[in-house]
Amino acid sequence: MKGYRKYFLTKLAWFAITFVFAFVLNFTLPRLMPGDPVAAIVARQAQGISNPIGVQAIYQQYTELFGTNKPIIEQFFIYVKNVLGGDFGFSFSQYPRTVVDVIRASILWTVCLQFPAIIVGWLIGNTLGALAAYLKGGFDKVLMPISIFVSNFPAFGMAVILMVIFGVTLKWFPTSGGYGYDLIPSFDWKFIRSVIVHYQLPFWSIVLIAIGGQAIGMRAMSIYELNADYVKYSRFMGIKDSTIVRYVFRNAMLPQITGLALSIGTMVGGALVAEIVFSYPGLGTTLLTAVMGQDYPLISFATLIITIMVLSATFIIEILYGVIDPRIKAAQAE
Amino acid sequence: MGQAVLEVNDLTTKYITRFREDIYAVDHVSLRVEEGKTLGIAGESGCGKSTLALSLMGYYFPPLHYVSGEIILNGRKITGMKPDEIRKTALGTEIAYIPQAAMNALNPTQKVINFIEDVILAHNPTQDKKDIYELARASFEVLGLPASVLHKYPVELSGGMKQRTVIAVSVILRPTVLIADEPSSALDVTSQKMVIKMLKGLMENGFIKAMIFITHELPLLYNVADDIMVMYAGQIVEKATAKQAVFDPLHPYSKGLMGSIIVPESGLRSVKLTAIPGAPPNLKKPPAGCRFAERCKYVQPECKVTYVPLYDAGNGRAYRCILSEKTLREAYQHGW
Amino acid sequence: MRHTLRQIFRSGKFVVGFSIFMMILLIVIVYPLVVTHPPLEIIGQGTFFPPGIYVSTYDAINAPTTYMLNLTDAAAKRVANKLKNEDRLAMKEWMVAAGVPESEIDIADTESLLTLWKRHYDPNKRMEGMTFARLRYYQRVNAAIEGLLSTEAAIIAAKNRETGALEEVSAVKQTDYVNISEVANVRVLALGTDNFGRDVLTELVRATGVSLQIGFVAGLIATLIGLTLGLLAGYIGGLVDDVIMFFTNLFTVIPGFVLLILISFSIGQDKRGAFTIATVIGLTSWVWTTRAVRAQVMSLRNRDHVNLSKLSGHSIPYIILTDILPYIASYVVMALILQISSGILAEAGLSILGLGPRTTEVPTLGLMMNWAMIYQAPILGKWWAYLPVLVTIALITFSMNLMNTGLDQVFNPALRD
Repeated sequence: MKGYRKYFLTKLAWFAITFVFAFVLNFTLPRLMPGDPVAAIVARQAQGISNPIGVQAIYQQYTELFGTNKPIIEQFFIYVKNVLGGDFGFSFSQYPRTVVDVIRASILWTVCLQFPAIIVGWLIGNTLGALAAYLKGGFDKVLMPISIFVSNFPAFGMAVILMVIFGVTLKWFPTSGGYGYDLIPSFDWKFIRSVIVHYQLPFWSIVLIAIGGQAIGMRAMSIYELNADYVKYSRFMGIKDSTIVRYVFRNAMLPQITGLALSIGTMVGGALVAEIVFSYPGLGTTLLTAVMGQDYPLISFATLIITIMVLSATFIIEILYGVIDPRIKAAQAE
Repeated sequence: MGQAVLEVNDLTTKYITRFREDIYAVDHVSLRVEEGKTLGIAGESGCGKSTLALSLMGYYFPPLHYVSGEIILNGRKITGMKPDEIRKTALGTEIAYIPQAAMNALNPTQKVINFIEDVILAHNPTQDKKDIYELARASFEVLGLPASVLHKYPVELSGGMKQRTVIAVSVILRPTVLIADEPSSALDVTSQKMVIKMLKGLMENGFIKAMIFITHELPLLYNVADDIMVMYAGQIVEKATAKQAVFDPLHPYSKGLMGSIIVPESGLRSVKLTAIPGAPPNLKKPPAGCRFAERCKYVQPECKVTYVPLYDAGNGRAYRCILSEKTLREAYQHGW
Repeated sequence: MRHTLRQIFRSGKFVVGFSIFMMILLIVIVYPLVVTHPPLEIIGQGTFFPPGIYVSTYDAINAPTTYMLNLTDAAAKRVANKLKNEDRLAMKEWMVAAGVPESEIDIADTESLLTLWKRHYDPNKRMEGMTFARLRYYQRVNAAIEGLLSTEAAIIAAKNRETGALEEVSAVKQTDYVNISEVANVRVLALGTDNFGRDVLTELVRATGVSLQIGFVAGLIATLIGLTLGLLAGYIGGLVDDVIMFFTNLFTVIPGFVLLILISFSIGQDKRGAFTIATVIGLTSWVWTTRAVRAQVMSLRNRDHVNLSKLSGHSIPYIILTDILPYIASYVVMALILQISSGILAEAGLSILGLGPRTTEVPTLGLMMNWAMIYQAPILGKWWAYLPVLVTIALITFSMNLMNTGLDQVFNPALRD
């Protein structure tokens, strides 16, 4: 147990360091723009908003939030103080809503869409990859090229194709939104049904993308494990093939968990774009409207939230991994 | 002659490569292991000695395939039996194996005791887990291994300890014959000594009745084995007692292997087998005549064209060379 | 070296990938030499013209020679082309209402349908419950059919400059044909036009070229950074390794596309050229190469030949160049290929978010996709505006990954079979 605690603490420290670093980057990058960022932001925004009082209010609010007239270190602490108080400022494009308000409305959609989809994709992909490695022959020869093709298919491409086939041509599912445009979010049966129907296409397009890459990885891992010395030894000790297959797939699966932790960032990126294709009311679509509306505060906060989501997911996966794989504990205990 | 526990007659096995080429890595091999004896098999890497070890168990999976010949284990012919029957009734219980790379022989994500459970349950599905633990603990104690090892993962064990654990696991079902394939080659000197001592002790403690010991390290073989078989390019080139093989080798290849060993045995030092110039032939297209001809100092014109059988020299001795015993011995003594 | 190349080209996967990629490259190079239209020229007045050969009507009438061809099925084809399925259904509906037995009417047989129609139709007869609009509709259909069935020539008239009156210039008979090669203006739009009225195929070829360049620049930058850092971290080790690995681990966990979004946005629309985007992509995607190279170098660091070189007093750059690099070359090439293909994908993703290169000068695959999405091509069924783009992206990344898998199997024999 001592080994595991050490592992946990190391991972926790890493989580904290990465978080601080991401936060600092989020603060620094826009300030690398030449000139006064607030002036630049508001100037870009000025054409967009017809209400001059609104522009004025934003300008003041931002000068306060950014503290642009002070040295950069002080600016940073002002920013930290504001952020700790939950103050991320107003959204330019959706003034007078605050940034936190806008994100709060979309984050749940993204979380409920992406994480189940990625996990389902991971599970199916690993199963297929393991089968390809074990059955070889025809199954492998058919599955592998498809997997390679699918995993190289751009995320938005998969979304567009699913949309055209099942949404536009077959009309099985709606092509956009998170629920019927004529409905008001509530907990009645009609609304929930609408949400479920709208969920399908974005969900499966993310699943499909995740499957391809995972299947390839799992196949390679399984082939490697199938040729491992312990497989040969177990066979010669008279152990049944079914038992050996269990060893192999368990051992091949474990590194795939780390693989998931490492690739979850990329997957979320692809999934955000898939959201945009379906105009799903999540962070991806919010990000798009923010970019379209040159809404800097919203972009900044959205990216920070996405980073935190990815960091937390990675952290949780690694913690679980440490519990499952004895090799981790042993390596830490030495 | 004592009671034979393992008899192999004219066994041939092959590898099928992914380009569908056949490689006959074990070519018409016959051998006999008697109760209480250790048979040593020597040869440089790639000579087919490891493949022979795998082939002796009668349990084949790709790319290794059975071609012909028979294996009689404890008076029972196992060639021709269904693979699953061999697995259940012979592997681990009558014939066991210590692999070359024992470092990675244990499943890394399983505790040693769980693997032992799987081994025993594969042969006797109704055995109680408590009994298994007792059996394992007792075995480990006799073999000088702490019982705490049972509850560890392989990564938690040192190299020497891992190797000794593998040996203890291999003999957990008291197999008749144990095949040890280079069991100590990857270890440091101290661990090597402990492993050899442990292997020697197996027969005395009644864990096994006979052993086949495979290595390229001759001094070790002389120490451990009663009889020695020298392999070259998939064939046996010489069979003799350990003493004869070391001090009076007949085949020029054996001579090359053994020639530089210094007596007496306490001072034996390790000799690299690459001391003989040249490389073994490509087994995809083996030469028609003697396979050693290309590298032989004493090569005759007909060596390269005529098939050379294994000549019986009496008293269980045999060698594969067209020259007579007398000519060979003279050549070794006075030069060619 | 030659042996390695021969081995690589024996791998089926590599050869297939290589062929696809070379074909794409060839098209990108040769097509602009043959078709010299500017790729972003707006030629269509209107959006999403379907793929096909566009023949100038004016020039067709004024073609130097008219040929007379008597084709027996010409009239039927003409009617069939004009008479839509819904018109046929409407005709049937009318006749059934007028008392013609339904079994006699076969809407697929144009000739019999027309005979029946001529026999029964009465333009003034108003069925019960028929709206006035519907009545007019039938009259229009009937007029069209009569026009189609007439064998008279179409008169081309022009205004007299002085009097302003229309004067007959020529007549186009139904049997008149022009040879398409004699028509002055014919434009082949193999993939139609996009939402701006631009030739999709020409645009696509150009976009493919630009996207490949972006991928190549991004991949090269990422690989160079990754290679340098990986070599330093792996070979020198110690503090250098710790520092490099610290940053590598950081950027592994912080999602690359988040940085990409932030940086691209911070640069601002005006400064975002294709090359800038490529650089930004390269700067945010070096971590994987660094990790891979470092691991390779660490396993090489204590090999005999490297130790020998150290003992011989060679300098670190010399050792890295002669004793390390050649051994990891295959990995670096593989990493580069992967980086190029993921660079192309990154550009596409960024463009869809509206953060791609600025739109005035060059098209990229991502931008084309972005435009198609904004103008809802998928929902409108304008497949030519997005499908070819998707297929091109998929073919490029697929071919590169096939090459990589092939290389991997040559260099890592364990993965065979």
